[in-house]
Amino acid sequence: MPNVAVETVKLTIDGQSLTVPKGTLVIEAARQVGVMVPHFCYHPKLKPDANCRMCLVEIEKIPKLQTACSTPVAEGMVVRTATTVVNEAHKSVLEFILANHPLDCPVCDQGGRCDLQDFSHEYTPTTSRFIEVKRVFQKEYFSPLIEKQMNRCVQCLRCVRYCDEVMDVKALAPVNRGTMTEIKHFGTHELDCEFCGGCIQICPVGAITSRLSMYEFRPWMLKRADTVCTYCGDGCQITLQTKDNQLIEVNSSLGAGRNNGDLCARGYFGYHATTHPDRLTTPLVRRDGRLVPATWDEALEYVAETFAQLKLKHGAQVFAGVITARCTNEDLYLFQKFMRLAVGTNKLDSSARYGQVNAVRALCRIQGTHRWPVTFEDIAAAEALLLVGTNITEANPITGLRVKEAVKKHGATLLTVESLQPTVGTISNIANLAAHHFTAHPDQYKPVVLGLIKAVIEEGLADQPLSQKAPAYLQAIRDAVHALSWPTIEAATGSSAASFKEAARAFARTARAVIIVGAGVLREPGASGLAATLQDLLLLTGHHGRPGCGLAPLAEQNNDQGAVEMGTVTECLPGPCDLDDQEARARVSALWQEDLPQGPGLTIPEILEEARGKTLKALYLVGEDPVGSLPESARAKEALEGVEFLVCQELFLTETAQMAHVVLPACSYAEKDGTFTNTEGHVQQVRHAIEPVGESRPDWEIFSDLAGLMGYPLEYGDAKDLLKEIRALVPGYNLPGPTPKPSRPDHTAVDRYLQQGYAEDLGERYRYTPPVKAAGRLTLLVDQSLFHSGKFSTKAKGLLHLQAEGAVSLNPADAARLGIVEGDRVLLSNELGHCRTTAKVWDRIPAGLCRFPEHFDQEARRLLSVSIDVATGVPYYRSAQVKVEKAQ
Amino acid sequence: MPKHEPVLLKNMLQPGYTGSLADYERAGGYQALKKVVGKVAPADVTAMVIKSGLRGRGGAGFPTGVKWNFLPKDYKGTKYLCCNADESEPGTFKDRQLMERDPHQVLEGIAIACYAIGAETAYIYIRGEFVLGSKILDQAVTEARAAGYLGKNVLGTGVNVDIWVHRGAGAYICGEETALLESLEGKRGLPRVKPPFPATSGLYGKPTVINNVETLANLPHIVNRGPEWFASIGSPPKSAGTRIFCVSGHVKRPGNYEVPMGITCRELIFEQAGGMRGDKPLKAFIPGGASAPFLTPDHLDVKLDFESVAQAGSMLGSGGVTVMEEGTDMVWAALRLMEFFHHESCGKCSPCREGSSWLVQTLRRILAKRGRMEDLETLVQLCNNIAGRTVCAFGDAEVAPILSTLKYWRPEYEALIREAEAHRAHELPMAAARH
Ligand SMILES: Cc1cc2nc3c(=O)[nH]c(=O)nc-3n(C[C@H](O)[C@H](O)[C@H](O)COP(=O)(O)O)c2cc1C
Ligand code: SF4
Ligand code: SF4
Ligand code: SF4
Ligand code: FES
Repeated sequence: MPNVAVETVKLTIDGQSLTVPKGTLVIEAARQVGVMVPHFCYHPKLKPDANCRMCLVEIEKIPKLQTACSTPVAEGMVVRTATTVVNEAHKSVLEFILANHPLDCPVCDQGGRCDLQDFSHEYTPTTSRFIEVKRVFQKEYFSPLIEKQMNRCVQCLRCVRYCDEVMDVKALAPVNRGTMTEIKHFGTHELDCEFCGGCIQICPVGAITSRLSMYEFRPWMLKRADTVCTYCGDGCQITLQTKDNQLIEVNSSLGAGRNNGDLCARGYFGYHATTHPDRLTTPLVRRDGRLVPATWDEALEYVAETFAQLKLKHGAQVFAGVITARCTNEDLYLFQKFMRLAVGTNKLDSSARYGQVNAVRALCRIQGTHRWPVTFEDIAAAEALLLVGTNITEANPITGLRVKEAVKKHGATLLTVESLQPTVGTISNIANLAAHHFTAHPDQYKPVVLGLIKAVIEEGLADQPLSQKAPAYLQAIRDAVHALSWPTIEAATGSSAASFKEAARAFARTARAVIIVGAGVLREPGASGLAATLQDLLLLTGHHGRPGCGLAPLAEQNNDQGAVEMGTVTECLPGPCDLDDQEARARVSALWQEDLPQGPGLTIPEILEEARGKTLKALYLVGEDPVGSLPESARAKEALEGVEFLVCQELFLTETAQMAHVVLPACSYAEKDGTFTNTEGHVQQVRHAIEPVGESRPDWEIFSDLAGLMGYPLEYGDAKDLLKEIRALVPGYNLPGPTPKPSRPDHTAVDRYLQQGYAEDLGERYRYTPPVKAAGRLTLLVDQSLFHSGKFSTKAKGLLHLQAEGAVSLNPADAARLGIVEGDRVLLSNELGHCRTTAKVWDRIPAGLCRFPEHFDQEARRLLSVSIDVATGVPYYRSAQVKVEKAQ
Repeated sequence: MPKHEPVLLKNMLQPGYTGSLADYERAGGYQALKKVVGKVAPADVTAMVIKSGLRGRGGAGFPTGVKWNFLPKDYKGTKYLCCNADESEPGTFKDRQLMERDPHQVLEGIAIACYAIGAETAYIYIRGEFVLGSKILDQAVTEARAAGYLGKNVLGTGVNVDIWVHRGAGAYICGEETALLESLEGKRGLPRVKPPFPATSGLYGKPTVINNVETLANLPHIVNRGPEWFASIGSPPKSAGTRIFCVSGHVKRPGNYEVPMGITCRELIFEQAGGMRGDKPLKAFIPGGASAPFLTPDHLDVKLDFESVAQAGSMLGSGGVTVMEEGTDMVWAALRLMEFFHHESCGKCSPCREGSSWLVQTLRRILAKRGRMEDLETLVQLCNNIAGRTVCAFGDAEVAPILSTLKYWRPEYEALIREAEAHRAHELPMAAARH
């Protein structure tokens, strides 16, 4: 955020004078001088509603007491919060609030951390003079995950306001009047919403609580560990609360972490996955064709020995390793060091391959740095936001909240380009907040972006200085967009030239603009090209390199960014630096006091290819399950069958692990220490909350032990030791930083691009060839859903309550044309195969598209073919053309 | 022939007057609009209204022109006028008559106000139960639009005034101006926290003026006959003009009486409304709707103007005068009103929400002869803890019946409680009863 000079105001609170920014509320100013004004309805995230009247204070020259939560400070204001009158008022308001309260603290999960208890303790006598009848609400079933006890409600409406103002879900409302006012959801069915848990967290009393941990604890019994959620790249800080080594619940506190206390369903309700009974508890070794339990010594010695033999026989180039980008930086770093030194090969990769490398490459190419040029705060403060290819609410919900904040709180202009339509539903739809929305199939993102660029050029919105600085570049783009006619773009996108022009104006004429791209761009063919073209849009509108502006590609996995920075993608060394950057090689090898292996790296698709060619003898997979997660057309199973020695380090016995020769049980994030780097490049501390499940061990410890057994000691006392070494090679790991400083573009890289770099592929990037589509087919999109992400969410009972099976969602008109109604069994088919599933008719799906949730796509995956990006080696398998019909 | 010349009720008192556009025009209707629109600068219309001394007839009695002047001066965007026709205050029924019997007088007033404040759209938020009134207004708007008094390009001057009639859905609180705005926006009718005041951020966040029906109906007359004329009626300077008092209760002739402000309560009740029904002595009266504290026979010579009634410890409020004769049970009367307030408390803020339920239950208990002497002290304290601490003025209103009856008729409460105590003396102690 830029430091704009703010007007300040001087005032006195309880005799202390202070200066605060104009517009600060009295309650907030008081907090700054250590004066706590009691409150229920006030919450820093919400607009003041001043309904509880708990925060009354005396302000000189105003006859009546004023609510500190809604009164802004004024110059020379004199506030008193503890006079006899004020104390009396606090007492009396609390007396009113307690009048109808059931005082069932002994059976309330909030007891011990309840604002009402705390304030009562402070302000009220121990007896009540209320002898009338208390109001009682009819108890009704609310939802499988959220419990509602309306008798405890103090009607502060924080839940309702949060659900509307912050989440934009609007699932809750007060119903009825007066003392009978009750918080309800809409409809006669159970609550159907985003299940972010926000209402539970923001309720000051025990009126809304989690059913996942109901009656299982008293708050003071819980041990807390602040750590980071692993479900997506947003990297929310969560507090895991445990009792007797069991995970009881998840919290997040206001102001903590990049999420500032907000969470999504995965973070709030998804914590049971790690302690699922199916967790691997001992190493397994294949004996007589069966995997049987073994001791760590047996298993590790077996692996070390076999590795040594194979290396002796075939050399180091027959080895490859893949690690999941869900591991800590420390794990990832040591994995690549292990592969390079102990094994001696560069053939290693990580799941950052599936999209993040496209993001990083696009940033590096035109910005010269590998991290976001903006922060979450910049998104919230943006005046214009362009979202391309991300259903952000479901993919990166917390980044999504910053977008909502920008639009709802600060009036930013939002442009969205996405495969969904703006309709109201139980899950908030970012397109509903858009000033301009372009509904786009995956193959339409490109023509929409080109349309925007054409509009910028033709409407004379291009940045003036650019025409002097890079006339050739500007001319090249001008020529390229002139060659594209509006009718072509209109036909390709289904949107009118006028709408592009309007959107372009809204985007160009702002001081702060951010472009956010998601899987629709990063995980579809042409990804790196489109990301570069979006940077052109920033350059053309003068937003590129301006503070608070830039391109922000969304990381899907919690440590995607860390995996690249740790050098755990095959083209990179830690830094990240290019694998064949001689200077970097020298630096790394000096630190490691060892020569780096020669020879090329291999990407995941190439590793599978070599395995199929039987040139690969040993494969070390850490948390990666290619058989269970790639489409059948990737032929992963066939590839792994060809590997002589397969070692899987896992939490669960995945489909791939079932084929392994040795399975090593690893700890989940809840059991280990280290760091994750989130999508915006913020490095955050991971802390263990429970002891390792069974005999499982942190991944890095396993690498270290194996290396020792192989005669290449890689010894570290703990994860912090590793972080120290990482710090020597990778900038930005000086933990903990308060807010990340976004990277500033490197001007030499920008200039290089503007002078000649653009020419490499500009022609290709600005050419539009209409896709060939077989008649009568729909585009199947396998996409992220809000309630599941990562590999283990389907093991979290909370999330399974919300979504336990997949269904294909169809546009209503398509469904009608095909004679399909909601709940019908349908058959999806193409050249690759077929799959049967249930149909859902959803007006959010645009015509011609159908959508299937990624986590239940086992069957649907058969229909996907894989194509590989020639530039970045990223395998694409998110969409396919399919025939949809009613199953007989 | 009434003793005082009526202004607002004049037309409808003519035999055969139907309230149609033709009738209204025949009685000189829309002349005021013609006089100002496009001819007098809007700011001068406002100045005229300030000069007239017109104060709001909705309850709070705020000077109308001054309120208009609170709108941001250099603001060029959309502004709104809302006509508050929610009239739900018990004992108040003047706006209804104004709308049903002479709708164009109200519309002309709205059009003049719109012109003065620069609003092109006005909403009439009418109480949901006034089905007839809303139909009549709708019909009148159609007529006036066809005649060029409303709609685009009013009277060919280029000024636009569109009026929409919106029916409420049955909550007293929607008469409170900010709850009215919420309701009009399609939300739950809950009062907003002020500031911001509607003048800066009202309907849909735009600068908005909210005025009562009767307030607006005065405007054509102020324009036609001049602010000086208006300021000479009643008890100027603070209480200029007439008021329509809605007299109900134990009187011979309940009904609406338009009189100059400043006549005495006695004159209103005993001369205008014909005196007490059955000629029993008067015991109590409310001078300004259910929200106004009760007064006693000692106050009969208080002048019915804003200041005098306030001085007597009550308020002129909505002009609803409810009269009670000797023999009325004042605890029952207080409970009756408290039941209303308990039913209507919107529940937004704690003191009013919880307080109204507490007060009503305590009153019910006392009336059911289960009270205790200490309840009276509790009642007073609870009332004092509600008043002045709520989001909207409802909180101040709801304590009026209890505080005023306790002030003047405390012995009635005490008698009930003494009876209760006598009963209790004969009851077995609970512990003994359980054996
Ligand atoms: C609880 C409550 C109910 C109200 N009901 C009405 C009503 O029914 N009609 C009305 O004109 N004003 C009502 N008011 C007053 C309005 O808030 C507002 O002051 C008035 O409409 C302003 O118009 P005026 O300035 O012309 O009087 C009510 C106020 C409160 C606090
Ligand atoms: S859990 Fe549901 S109801 Fe509660 S705040 Fe989140 S979206 Fe709204
Ligand atoms: S449920 Fe909780 S947050 Fe919601 S209104 Fe009641 S007390 Fe407030
Ligand atoms: S005072 Fe009563 S009516 Fe007014 S906002 Fe509070 S609860 Fe609602
Ligand atoms: S905290 Fe101020 S009124 Fe509730």
